[in-house]
Amino acid sequence: MAKSIMLVDDSATMRKIIMRTIRAAGLSLGDIQEAGDGGEALEKIGQTPVDIVLCDVNMPGMGGTEFVEKLRSDSSYDSTKVIMVSTESADDFISSVLALGANGYIKKPFTPESIQQTLEPFMS
Amino acid sequence: MVADVCFHDTLIDSASEVFETMMFMALEKISPEEAEMAEDTLLSSITFTGALEGCLAICCASQDAKLIAANMLGMEPEDDISMEDICDAMGEVSNMVLGSIKKRIADAVGEISVSIPCTVSGKMLDTSLGEKSNMTEEFVNLDGSLVKFQLFYKDN
Repeated sequence: MAKSIMLVDDSATMRKIIMRTIRAAGLSLGDIQEAGDGGEALEKIGQTPVDIVLCDVNMPGMGGTEFVEKLRSDSSYDSTKVIMVSTESADDFISSVLALGANGYIKKPFTPESIQQTLEPFMS
Repeated sequence: MVADVCFHDTLIDSASEVFETMMFMALEKISPEEAEMAEDTLLSSITFTGALEGCLAICCASQDAKLIAANMLGMEPEDDISMEDICDAMGEVSNMVLGSIKKRIADAVGEISVSIPCTVSGKMLDTSLGEKSNMTEEFVNLDGSLVKFQLFYKDN
């Protein structure tokens, strides 16, 4: 069964680009939800849980790191995979977000190949 | 050391990485003498602070911004794209170019924090960071579109 996904980014354009790139990578998806920041994402996930969250880091309102912290503080979302998508590329930062509970990291700008490489392990 | 960084190369390399990867558009650097900016422009800017503080500004004609947005979204330039989507796309461009700059100067400059991008449209738009700032400026031809990149910065 195709995985459900949530795209969390304050830029509607970036959400569209990520979706287009996922499709270009040949990955099939189930239900798709969108949110403009971490707070909206938590609210929507509370109503309709998803399998995979692709989340920006730097957003007005609740940012990506706070979102991961809050999601991981609730064990009912242990099976939800969180992939961060950000221009931030410092190794220390990436390690810290993964330590908070993110399952993967995609650097912007990205290619269909980099999206596929990161997402594919979570799609089966 | 900030003095060790060639901001001209950094700016061009960073912009090339973003436009080639996300939009499949190649940059051709052109001289300021050849560059004549349109009157109706769209200006996207994003600020940074930390070891170095400043602002990246990307400016182009409104119709060229639509072309860039169309490429980002996988649409045709003649397709109906809202001004909101065009501004949003240009904001993302400035966000990604600054992210690439940040990565390239991290060893020499140290950590910087980046703001949320802001995009405005208007006539003869310009950016400034005050008298004591430095400015690196590059003009590029982007598949027939003229785009101006300016990086304003000062040591903190």
